[in-house]
Amino acid sequence: MATKGEILIIDDDQDFCEIAKATLEADSFSVRCACTGPEGLAMMREKRPDLVFLDVIMVMPAEGLYVSEEIAKDPALRDVPVVMVSSIVGSGYTGYFPTDRPLHAHMFLDKPVPLSRLLEVANSFVQEKRVGA
Amino acid sequence: MEHQLSFEAELIDRIDWLIRLRWLAVAGVVLAVGLLALWFPTTLALGPLLGTTAIIGIYNLLFLCYLRTLRSGSQSVARLRRATSFAYVQIALDLVALAALIHFAGGVENLLAFFLVFHVIIASILLPRGSSYLVAALAVLLYESVIALEYTGLLPHYHLPMLRQELYQNLLYLFTASAVMMFMLFLVAYLATSIASRLRERDRELWESNQTCQIRSQELQDLNEQLRRIDGERTRFMVLVTHELRAPISTIYSALELALGGYAPPEKTREVLARAQNRATDLLDLIRDLLDLTKVREETDEQAQVVPIQMADVLREVVDFVRVEAEGKGLTLEVEIKPDLAPVRALPEQMKLVWTNLLSNAIKYSKSGGKIQVSLDQDARRVIGSVRDTGIGIPAEDLPRIFDEFYRAGNARDVTPHGTGIGLAVVRRIVDNWEGDIWAESKVGQGSTFTFVLPRADAGERA
Repeated sequence: MATKGEILIIDDDQDFCEIAKATLEADSFSVRCACTGPEGLAMMREKRPDLVFLDVIMVMPAEGLYVSEEIAKDPALRDVPVVMVSSIVGSGYTGYFPTDRPLHAHMFLDKPVPLSRLLEVANSFVQEKRVGA
Repeated sequence: MEHQLSFEAELIDRIDWLIRLRWLAVAGVVLAVGLLALWFPTTLALGPLLGTTAIIGIYNLLFLCYLRTLRSGSQSVARLRRATSFAYVQIALDLVALAALIHFAGGVENLLAFFLVFHVIIASILLPRGSSYLVAALAVLLYESVIALEYTGLLPHYHLPMLRQELYQNLLYLFTASAVMMFMLFLVAYLATSIASRLRERDRELWESNQTCQIRSQELQDLNEQLRRIDGERTRFMVLVTHELRAPISTIYSALELALGGYAPPEKTREVLARAQNRATDLLDLIRDLLDLTKVREETDEQAQVVPIQMADVLREVVDFVRVEAEGKGLTLEVEIKPDLAPVRALPEQMKLVWTNLLSNAIKYSKSGGKIQVSLDQDARRVIGSVRDTGIGIPAEDLPRIFDEFYRAGNARDVTPHGTGIGLAVVRRIVDNWEGDIWAESKVGQGSTFTFVLPRADAGERA
């Protein structure tokens, strides 16, 4: 079956990965999951995805930020849209966000992400990319 | 000692005041002599009067210089002694000068003698308790000497021109004047001394209460600082708790949404719901651990009434409880309890929590076929408990932080992704609360040893 697009989820919460994966796969996306930042970067370099859902707080509080910066630095990955997903908004971790440097993120989603919203975001980014291409 | 030094600073200020007062006296005498000289140009002993006044002016100048050098020195008891002697010298010289002025201005006929009272009052303010009696005695002695010497003719008498009679030869008058002067000087000495000593007592009390206030204020500052630190820790803890509670609830929420919204095929939905159920169990575990943590805080407030307990009894009870779980996982559980162990001061429920947390960690992170060794021993001061396992071990970089709330070692996450990270924090808090200590030694892949020590409850009796 032809997929709508390739999505990578980088999140240390395996349950979130599985739920998002099940939802997106049911909507004909091809989904891979990575549990850590370095693992996610390796998977992106191995096969360039159309969209990345990236958690901010993983083993390290700002691991997601580090990953987004690595993506921005890599010419081969720079154009991949990054959607940051975290429960950071409204949590005490907001202070970990460095406000003095630009973040390489195209959108922010707050956990728990309504699955309808997840699908909407995935479709719009992948669609846009296809139209762009 | 400190109060003495504050008294010293005050004494030096008062000496300064006395010197300034003396300039006024000099000016007053010069003015009075000048006026009298206008009215009675021939009869008054102008030369000796002005000479004495000049001497007062000269020694006051010298006093001023000495006061400057005294002020430039640092605060010390030696300086206090010098300042006191300095005040004595000044008062004595003033009395002599005043006696000379009395003599040159008519002796017993002149009421100038009443000025002697001032020095008695000044002495009671400036000098140690009782000094004013000494000054009064000196004043009386000088006054009586002037009268006696003039009466006997050993000193010439300068008659006051406004008086018709020569009173210095009238024995009844001399006797009355001496008695009145003596009585008045000693009465003033008594009154001034009792008032001054009461004031000094008040001053000392005020100084002491001021000192106490300063100490209290420091204590309050320290307490405030401590409260601020505790508040900061509590805030940090709340941040961690909210984050840890939010993650499983988000998962459960999304799983329910997936099931209810029909976002995935039935077999996938079932799998996701099973995950959600596990997260709900994790959440319950987290809440239980958080309650343990809170209970430790509350229970420890009642430490004073705690009766010493036998740690061996607690350990046996916990081992009986976890043995089934350990053996079910294919682990060997060995327990070695030394006989005749001293009791420890602690709550049995909290000690159960310590052993349960350490043992369930050992079981959780050991593979089938592994061995867990529990031991209970003591040295001269402490009871020593330890749990050794042959589990996955703790990476060296994680070892310093494993007792922090919510901290979990990297490899522990691989074994159970959703542990609470509170168990060891509870253990450390309990051990700390009972003035004990806990530490861990570990090698990745070989196992870990957790050792904790608590003071023996019989340590005081043995010493």
